[in-house]
Amino acid sequence: MTLEEYRNIAEPGELRLIEAMARRLDGRKFIHVNSTFTGGGVAELLQRMVPLFNSMGIKTEWKVIKGTKPFFEVTKRIHNSLQGQGLMITRRMWETYEAVNERNAQKMDLSADCVFIHDPQPAMLIDRKKEGLWIWRCHIDISAPDRATWYILKKHVENYDAAIFSAAKFAQSLNIPQFMITPSIDPLSEKNRDLTEEEVAEVYERFGIPRDKPLILQVSRFDPFKDPLGVMDAFFLVRKYHDCRLVLAGGTATDDPEGERVLAQVREKAEGCPDIHILLLPPFSDKEINALQRGATIVLQKSTKEGFGLVVAEALWKERPVIAGDVGGIPLQVIDGVTGYLVHSIEGTAFRIRQLLQNPALAEQMGRAGKEHIRRNFLITGHIKHYLSLWIAMENRDSSVIYI
Amino acid sequence: MEPFRFYECTALVRMTGRRASDLIEFAEIIKNVSPAAIFHHMHQYFLKPHIILPEYPNDFAIWAADALEDKILAERLANLNPFEFTNIEDIRREILRIMTEHLKEYPAPRPVIKGKEFFFNEGITLVVETTFRADTLGEFLAALREVHTSSIYFHFYEARLRLGKELDDFSRFFEDCGDPKCREIACTIRSLDPYMYTTEMLRRKIIEIVEERCDDA
Repeated sequence: MTLEEYRNIAEPGELRLIEAMARRLDGRKFIHVNSTFTGGGVAELLQRMVPLFNSMGIKTEWKVIKGTKPFFEVTKRIHNSLQGQGLMITRRMWETYEAVNERNAQKMDLSADCVFIHDPQPAMLIDRKKEGLWIWRCHIDISAPDRATWYILKKHVENYDAAIFSAAKFAQSLNIPQFMITPSIDPLSEKNRDLTEEEVAEVYERFGIPRDKPLILQVSRFDPFKDPLGVMDAFFLVRKYHDCRLVLAGGTATDDPEGERVLAQVREKAEGCPDIHILLLPPFSDKEINALQRGATIVLQKSTKEGFGLVVAEALWKERPVIAGDVGGIPLQVIDGVTGYLVHSIEGTAFRIRQLLQNPALAEQMGRAGKEHIRRNFLITGHIKHYLSLWIAMENRDSSVIYI
Repeated sequence: MEPFRFYECTALVRMTGRRASDLIEFAEIIKNVSPAAIFHHMHQYFLKPHIILPEYPNDFAIWAADALEDKILAERLANLNPFEFTNIEDIRREILRIMTEHLKEYPAPRPVIKGKEFFFNEGITLVVETTFRADTLGEFLAALREVHTSSIYFHFYEARLRLGKELDDFSRFFEDCGDPKCREIACTIRSLDPYMYTTEMLRRKIIEIVEERCDDA
């Protein structure tokens, strides 16, 4: 993978900036640490970004902390607690967290010019910092955390040189420099690359979904905050006026009792309606998601609570208009009335679906605008540019205008 | 004479950690927030790639309209032209004057809903010299057509207020060139109202101005 492959997608000026910054950082060492090589948005991005950094001459490594099952149970709890689910972390849980971080810190060689630690799981590695610039990259919304959890984690976070958040409203007040860098999608990844019409048709055929009428799609976990039941209510309201299909596609949720419960409710509600298709996608269904999005007439993301919600950017990249909840990072992606609609209720969702089904030309125009919006603001090239900018800015802390 | 060297730039957003959820909090923060934050919120509109123009060209006016839902205040803030000022402290004073007058006339709007607060940020600009250079009007036109819009932002907007120059770099180049035709170009560019342009519109406008006076371009 090289930057050259993005030549026909990204702005030439943006690539010139990246190349100039990479020349300045040529031969320097860059390390990323997170908690998994597979699954989740962070791993998905690092898989693509790390080879790109290396191709530019920045010696980049990606390391993953090794943890025990209890450790990951604790970190999942910390993750949810920071996202405001009101969970308490006990003294024993913190001990598990600290012990695993400590063990990893002893075994990992983290000597580099710049180290990015992603999310709370490995955040405590900072306590063993020896050299270089250490940045905490927070991908989640910690604006309303459990206060005790944040109080304890903050002590570690404030030992970093800087922190990055995906949106200003996701951040907390810290006594270290904080930067805003939005996440991104890779237009060349399996989930976003161009597909032929045959590839799209094959996926729909494989899932047994006829493409005989307009198709409304939501790709999300079966999670109450993604409101799949609300999506179905909106669909029933739309069906009074338009003959259409609904596809709810989400991951399997065997380790998530709440997900199982929501899925059961969705199935029960869909009973007797052959135009509702519920798909349980296994992990690594990137091509399938890509095809489903490309084959949809309208994409929904009717979340009532959301992180950044990059699935919206994925759908917009495929020129689909997106109707989505006005929460989390969604308003940065859906420009109301331009790339889709922001909605606040089931009725609003139904109304906007009806508007777009009634006016395919408008839907098409929004789709085109959506792709351009993502191209200019949410591609991996821009993300890389911001990471390199941050590195250089942190090495020139007193300047607000830096000549490279 | 030195050739015109085109630079391109990008902005990194640094968060100050300060946020306002109502107009009074906003005014209190404006009093002592960094000049870099005021510059950022008055100018990021010009550097950001838009697919559709926001209703108003500065973040303060957009917030007043969208989050506070106070259209009168939004219009008053939108009408504040940063290019009439040669330093950021004067802009700060003008924003505070607008706020104070507004609060004397109208009740303070209700606080915004959570998540719609005004988040004060600052921009750090990273600048790269490109290989685009111009010795002649023809070369200038050719380069101006090719450079990234961030180049127009840097030479036209950032150069004036933040870098403390009285003139934008394009006008300065034509002014210094000595040729009467170039002076005329400088004079026309200087008379533009940059607040009413996006960088892309400005690129087209400057190309048009130079082309009009440049038979051989």
